[in-house]
Amino acid sequence: MARKLKVWVDHQVCVGNAMCEAVAPKVFRLDDNRQSEVADPTAASEATILEAAENCPVSAIVVEDAETGERLFP
Amino acid sequence: MLNVVPVEDNMFASDVIANPYAYYGRLRDTDPVHWNETYALWVITRYDDLVWLTRHHELFSSAVFRNDPRPAYPAIDEADNPLYDYVRSYQGDQFIQHDRPEHLEMRRVMHSYFTPKSMEAWRPFVRDAVKELLDAAEAKGEMDVMRDLATPLPVLVIAQMMGVPPSERPYVRQLAEKLLYIGRGEYDRMKPLTEGMRGMIDYVSPMVDERIDNPGDDFISVLAQGEKRGIFSRHQVLVNTSLLLLAGHETTINLLCNGTLAFTRHPDQWELFKQDPEGRAKAATEECLRYDSPVISIQRIATEDVEMRGKVLRKSDRIRWFISPANRDPDAFPDPDTFDIERHPNQHVAFGSGTHHCLGATLARVEGQEVFKALAERFPNLRAQTEGLDYQPSITFRSLKALPVTWD
Repeated sequence: MARKLKVWVDHQVCVGNAMCEAVAPKVFRLDDNRQSEVADPTAASEATILEAAENCPVSAIVVEDAETGERLFP
Repeated sequence: MLNVVPVEDNMFASDVIANPYAYYGRLRDTDPVHWNETYALWVITRYDDLVWLTRHHELFSSAVFRNDPRPAYPAIDEADNPLYDYVRSYQGDQFIQHDRPEHLEMRRVMHSYFTPKSMEAWRPFVRDAVKELLDAAEAKGEMDVMRDLATPLPVLVIAQMMGVPPSERPYVRQLAEKLLYIGRGEYDRMKPLTEGMRGMIDYVSPMVDERIDNPGDDFISVLAQGEKRGIFSRHQVLVNTSLLLLAGHETTINLLCNGTLAFTRHPDQWELFKQDPEGRAKAATEECLRYDSPVISIQRIATEDVEMRGKVLRKSDRIRWFISPANRDPDAFPDPDTFDIERHPNQHVAFGSGTHHCLGATLARVEGQEVFKALAERFPNLRAQTEGLDYQPSITFRSLKALPVTWD
């Protein structure tokens, strides 16, 4: 069973590049300001979510292990 | 009849080129969605408007050259119209001149090459290159930051990424200088511009041929893969290789020069920076990007009628959004005209915003951080000869012509 992830987007940093939404469209969506927000952190594999986070041009996406709090990205 | 250009609408006037902050700042404060009659385009100068516009890419097309049949502006020699047709077909193949869904598909080919993590791996190469260039400057006892540091460094880095041999780098720079005529106003600019474009195509063609057959880990191989996957035509691979060669250095040159100038004009900030160059390099580079941004403005075309601040931008209207005044907007930045290397938060728009946010942003940041840090460590009493500085007559790039500095 895959571990649970805590995923969020720092809106002080997000520039709305929307690459996360392209990589993991079920996990990320754009809000009214066209910044990314997390719709469902369980809607893609850990590998896909980490790929989305790595492809953020400003490293605005934070991924943690929901249970241990271990920082997985950045 | 004399065709007199009203001073307030002449974006190429020498005082506007010398100090864009006064002119565009006045527009931002009094008429933020301004119709420029002379060039028949909208001038957008507020920070919040710029962010909103760049994030609504479906309303503002980036495919400017394909969606705008109007003649070049400022006017060119009519005999040069066939050359302008070539410019349009060349520029139109750049990935940045596309909208979704094509833009996303094209950008994805290259995007993962430029992630913050992958660019961080280039930091040691950048640091060594900076050291070598400063060794040479130190031996000479003087330097033109433009000629001796800001130009060779990014050319070296992007050439390394592309697999361009060292001996050919000066030739690449020569071609790039011709391509810079794109943002300028000279009546006879089409000739050098198209020479640069054709020269680039001729130069990169054999390299692309080679990488199609023998892909490596260089950036041209990444683009060549895009052709194999049917996302790019061959002409698009060639044009985008040239684009990255140019974009990969021209804007960084401006960051390095404009930032160095800002430091030398603000000795208190230079003192502060020197206390901890390593710890302050990131925030200071962001402030350099905001305070005197490398790119002044970028164009879009309205895809439908759009209302902004009570004015209606009609479908197909030309729109230019101005980074320089937006980054000095008092509604977005307290004391916007103050150079403050500890500014926080500092959500500037030097790299634009939205789906077209600069692909090379992290690389530019790494180069800026390493240069400012090295200058502070090696030339603590750096002084610029700031009298009579001259800028290129461009509304796209904020480019000094030279920046001579001295030290004890």
